[in-house]
Amino acid sequence: MTRVIAGQECRDLWIGGRGPVLVFGFSVLLSAMTYLAATNRAMNFLEQREAVNLTVQVALAVGVLLTVVVSADAISGERERGTFEALLLTPVPRRAIIVGKLIAATTMWLACVVVTIPYLWVLGRGVAGVGPAVLLALTVGTLVATGLGGIGLLFSAGANSNKTSLAGGLLLLLVLFAPTQLPALPKTGVGEVITRINPIGSALHYVSQILVSQRNWTHDLSYLASPVLIALLVTGVVIVAGPRLVRLTAGLK
Amino acid sequence: MASIEARGLSKRYGARNALDGLTFATDPGEVVGLLGPNGAGKTTTIRLLTTILEPTAGTFTVAGIPGDRPTEIRRRIGVLPESAGYPPRQTGAEYLRYAARLYSRRDARDVADRLLTDVGLGDRAGSRISSYSRGMKQRLGIARALINDPAVVFLDEPTLGLDPAGQREILATIGEIAVRRNATVVLSTHTLTEVEQVCGSVLILDHGKLRTAGPIGEVVGAGSLSDAFLRLTEEADHD
Repeated sequence: MTRVIAGQECRDLWIGGRGPVLVFGFSVLLSAMTYLAATNRAMNFLEQREAVNLTVQVALAVGVLLTVVVSADAISGERERGTFEALLLTPVPRRAIIVGKLIAATTMWLACVVVTIPYLWVLGRGVAGVGPAVLLALTVGTLVATGLGGIGLLFSAGANSNKTSLAGGLLLLLVLFAPTQLPALPKTGVGEVITRINPIGSALHYVSQILVSQRNWTHDLSYLASPVLIALLVTGVVIVAGPRLVRLTAGLK
Repeated sequence: MASIEARGLSKRYGARNALDGLTFATDPGEVVGLLGPNGAGKTTTIRLLTTILEPTAGTFTVAGIPGDRPTEIRRRIGVLPESAGYPPRQTGAEYLRYAARLYSRRDARDVADRLLTDVGLGDRAGSRISSYSRGMKQRLGIARALINDPAVVFLDEPTLGLDPAGQREILATIGEIAVRRNATVVLSTHTLTEVEQVCGSVLILDHGKLRTAGPIGEVVGAGSLSDAFLRLTEEADHD
């Protein structure tokens, strides 16, 4: 039954829904960035590998943001639109409902990866980093998108208002993104701890170590601990506690 | 065997009693009117019996299935919720086919087409729901409530906001459900004339308590349903 729910959620997202519009906006952003990287006098000093790394980082940041936007709407949005009660009245297990919605939200990230591939190819022509960049975006990004998308979904299950769940999801992303913009962080002791426990910070650090510093994939593998942990933990919470959260009204039993 | 049986069914929200000790039973094929002023507990009653809410106290069976087996109950009931929303971008046919798949029906396409025809939407099956009038959406909601051939159908204010012609169409559809499908229909409404037209018996709730239950003839006595309703609910206000 999870497949039926996920299939319908994907149709609602991608056929006439918000998915194509969000991905179009994402591609415009990548186009502008790629154009600047290729033509701007300040930015085109970037070494090709750095340009590829920058694209992966932007894709990961914006792709995860879009995934959270979709997942934060998944349940609270249906409550607001009055379509949730009809779904709850079917014999579909609550677990199938919440897992199906998480799968559908994750397709937003996968679409962002697909859109990013041509940009990586343009920026990385002639260097061997395009393949690894795509693979990194797919693996590391999927971990982060699943984890944070799942948190967005839990916010959505726990909020009656769509605005509340969306604001909660965006605030979480802001808190996680802000430290990644402090360049000195990874070099200091406390900064490194903050980077390692932050799934976005550690994911971006791991990606840059491979794409720019050309480290082996296994060299900084410990940086993947928090993305893996958040993906497993949140997916576990969604599967185990999700059925209790999927109710007509948040907070009431 | 009673199609619905409730014993001492209660629901509390904090200090407020939304429903207090509701006890009643209905027979298969019966159309039961659920009446009461705003806040009487009609929607709470429906949400308890349809397993959307859990009771604070009391027990119930629906279609012979006890209330502690909610998934099985949901397989046997059809519900048109109060103020139901509809996905505007889906067509009526897509909406019903999806509903049928949620009940694991292999004949989703056939049953969707048949029900759309039954409720008079056959010629608009391929149109987006956003282009439907309110009455058409209500008929689509009733079609969805019948997608699993339910033994008990709950309709919460199905004629709310409809013009007289739309109300007449919905009432005719409700009457057919009971006759053709031998399903018990619980009709929650504020409109007493609707109850007189299609219901065989009535439950009158007020402030979460059952004021009376039984065949309309017995409840009304020598007067009208309107008189009986006002008398019972005003008595409650004086209690």
